[in-house]
Amino acid sequence: MEISRRKFVQLGSAAGLTVAAGCNRMPEILVPGSGYSVNDKKPFKPPFTESVDLISHHLNRLSFGPRPGEYERVRKMGETEEEAVAAYIEEQLHPERISDPEGAASIRGIETLNLPADLMFEFREKVLLRDLVRGTNQRAIFSRRQLYEVMVQFWTDHFNIDPTKGDCRWLKTWDDREVVRKYALGDVGIKSESSVAKLIGAFALGGNEEQDKPSFKFPDMVRASALSPAMLWYLDGRENRTEEDEDKPNENYARELLELHTLGVHGGYTQGDVMEVARCLTGWTVSRVKKGPGFALDNQYGKVEFKPGLHDDNEKTVLGETIPAGEGSKDLDHVLRIVSLHPSTAKHLATKLCRRFIADEPPADAVKTVAQAFLKSEGDIRETLRALFATDNFRNTRGNKFKRPFNFIVSALRATDARTDGDKPIYDYMLRMGHAPFNFPTPDGYPEEATPWMGTLLWRWNFALALSENRIDNGTRINPKRLAERAGGGESLMAHLLGRKPNEPEIESWRESGNGLALALASPAFQWS
Amino acid sequence: MAANSQLALSGDGDQRQTLIAVFLRGGADGLNMVAPFEDDGYFKARPRIAIKKEDSVQLDDFFGLNPLLSELERPYKDGNLAIVHAAGSEDDTRSHFEAQDLMEHGGLLMPGGWLGRFLRALPDGGNGPLSAVAVGRSVPECLRGAPASTVMESLDSFSLGKKAERMTAALTRLYGLENNALGNVAKDTFGAMKRIEKLRNEKYIPGNDAEYSYDEFSRGMQQVARLIKARVGLTTVSIDIGGWDSHFVQSSVMDPLMPRLAKGLNSFYTDLGREMENTTVVVMTEFGRRVYENASFGTDHGRGSVMFVMGGGVKGGRVIADWPSLDDKVLEGPGDLPVTTNYRNVLAPILSRFGIDDKMRKVFPDYDLKPLDLFG
Repeated sequence: MEISRRKFVQLGSAAGLTVAAGCNRMPEILVPGSGYSVNDKKPFKPPFTESVDLISHHLNRLSFGPRPGEYERVRKMGETEEEAVAAYIEEQLHPERISDPEGAASIRGIETLNLPADLMFEFREKVLLRDLVRGTNQRAIFSRRQLYEVMVQFWTDHFNIDPTKGDCRWLKTWDDREVVRKYALGDVGIKSESSVAKLIGAFALGGNEEQDKPSFKFPDMVRASALSPAMLWYLDGRENRTEEDEDKPNENYARELLELHTLGVHGGYTQGDVMEVARCLTGWTVSRVKKGPGFALDNQYGKVEFKPGLHDDNEKTVLGETIPAGEGSKDLDHVLRIVSLHPSTAKHLATKLCRRFIADEPPADAVKTVAQAFLKSEGDIRETLRALFATDNFRNTRGNKFKRPFNFIVSALRATDARTDGDKPIYDYMLRMGHAPFNFPTPDGYPEEATPWMGTLLWRWNFALALSENRIDNGTRINPKRLAERAGGGESLMAHLLGRKPNEPEIESWRESGNGLALALASPAFQWS
Repeated sequence: MAANSQLALSGDGDQRQTLIAVFLRGGADGLNMVAPFEDDGYFKARPRIAIKKEDSVQLDDFFGLNPLLSELERPYKDGNLAIVHAAGSEDDTRSHFEAQDLMEHGGLLMPGGWLGRFLRALPDGGNGPLSAVAVGRSVPECLRGAPASTVMESLDSFSLGKKAERMTAALTRLYGLENNALGNVAKDTFGAMKRIEKLRNEKYIPGNDAEYSYDEFSRGMQQVARLIKARVGLTTVSIDIGGWDSHFVQSSVMDPLMPRLAKGLNSFYTDLGREMENTTVVVMTEFGRRVYENASFGTDHGRGSVMFVMGGGVKGGRVIADWPSLDDKVLEGPGDLPVTTNYRNVLAPILSRFGIDDKMRKVFPDYDLKPLDLFG
């Protein structure tokens, strides 16, 4: 029974991905040590302007950096640069319309990404984390749905979960798929993953049945996160209960819901509001893992349930609004209605988005515009981003975002057309620079600003050297000679890597270094996007 | 041989003092680290998780050390470790991030961190390549704004490998043209690389038969001891132990962490021996935990906690506390130990030893300092 069910999941996921791939190129199967590559041999034209032009700027910000040939591809999307970037933005805002054979093929064979929660417990947690990291790395490196992957990273930080805590070890994969990836950029309609879980009917979110037409806006994402078994573990929501009247609720999740996920720390709530929200959320629990005979036949593990007997059903007041007694599990939706489209939430999210896409010190005008778009669209993430990309601040603030280490490594692998399995050696470099996926302990997620990351220069230089000399390991390889030929010589290759024509000192240093490719990847210009 | 190479490595021969700031992230429960066993309110509020007097290492007639911190008994009995109880900051949001920010910045809306400002207040401006070392993977907030800070996991990895002269020269040239924060960081990085080059490939033998364990904190403290003895100009060190957020089954969260902290500190203390005179270690956390245990054998975010100060001529062997008592009438907000000693009043006397009294107000602005009498 156990085996056939697991097999079924594997077959299901493979079938889903084949349909999604639907391409003329035979995808390579990914096994550690061999790696996936796009295997493109065509020549390409890099940008050759003195400073970062509109096309390179959009590639820098909406993606994890351009692959060879991508500058040319985007340039051809419109008559003018303006039209080209407008078309690129629309393309990237609709990942469901982008055929993505590379993204799908790069994660083939990563078994646990598509499992329903209850089957996760059959795997060792190390396997799950490794698969999840590889999946994250590979999709960031190879997927054509780049803005989607950028937003996946954004929300992974926003709703950060440290998978070393309790059953998060088994449940974070589910959270990544059913919360972060499902809602990251509106209704992305990517069916290959979650539909498999649904197909076998193994898992249904408690309380979700009231939604007949699924919606994929920010409030829906907050709700999915609130009822994510991993989140209930991570922030102790599953322990938040009132059995006796004198029991004190566990405030951990309630506080972070207000402070980090919605209103923001100066969003106008009090310690009293935190305690009241905690009372509203009492009673939501997660079924525990039970090891032993019969384990594989039971599909209840990790299931989220509301236990009325553990809920404080008296009247509460949240941000001045009364939540009447006797509402039971509906208190959750009431609280989320109050907070998830609150003006403070709009401002908080707009600030974070502008910090990600525009500047570490987000310009007030842009924040205002983006917050308005968020409120007007009732938390539609696409509309919110569309408004952000249309601001002058976004268009004109270029080359000022310091790449976080993950972004640096992924952009280097993309730019060099690396073949990679995205496995442990890549993870180890990220870890050394303090930015490995799913490795941040506290719920605020990795910082976005430049300052905390600047101390990583030496490790960046080391990565650039190792990559260019094919010293990372067998699972990651590049062909520097072919790359230079495709670009049309050293100086063009530099332009491809820097997103603009290299200046005199850069050209001289390129020659002086003895390893031009490493020099370019280690150079100041490549650290910014 | 070992002794000779130690001698050979003593580059500058500086007699500079070093300050090591240990941050326990997550809000460490001071009440169960240093238990007030003579306060009845303690056992009333924590019927299941309190530390009993008979289990504790008695420090005086009121406080006992959690047995899992017993390695701290030696520096305490030697008179080189002082404990400050009911210490913390004025931040009452009970938010990890707000409280850590306030503590590390030394005030709300302060530009940069208190260690950063302290370094700038030093006579040499604190801009040596290894003035400020952050042990770990990123620069913590307290070092924000430091003229130079180096992130270091271990000495062994601090290099561009062999035969990297041309690459180093080319990078030095390009980063030299960056007139911004990145350019400054690069300059410090090249400087630190040169210094550490001298240390690498030398086997380190800790002094006085000190034995460090293999966890991250102990290994970090060992590297710090090594840098101090090699006199590479180390002034401040920031090092963290995270994971103290004990909402749920407190013992499962704290019990593994406490021995790590105590053993790391004691090994360092043993290793440095007389060098401790020029070295001060201060341990702090963003807030303590609620006095009352919760239904899941844990404690929620509270206010006051403990701080530890070791070495540097401190008058130790005492628990310094303006103890408020754990009576319900005295507790703050939802039931928390009030902060009766602001953390700045613990840090200020330590910083005084670096001769920056005239600039203390720049390190801790907008605060009426009443420095604790730590040095007797």
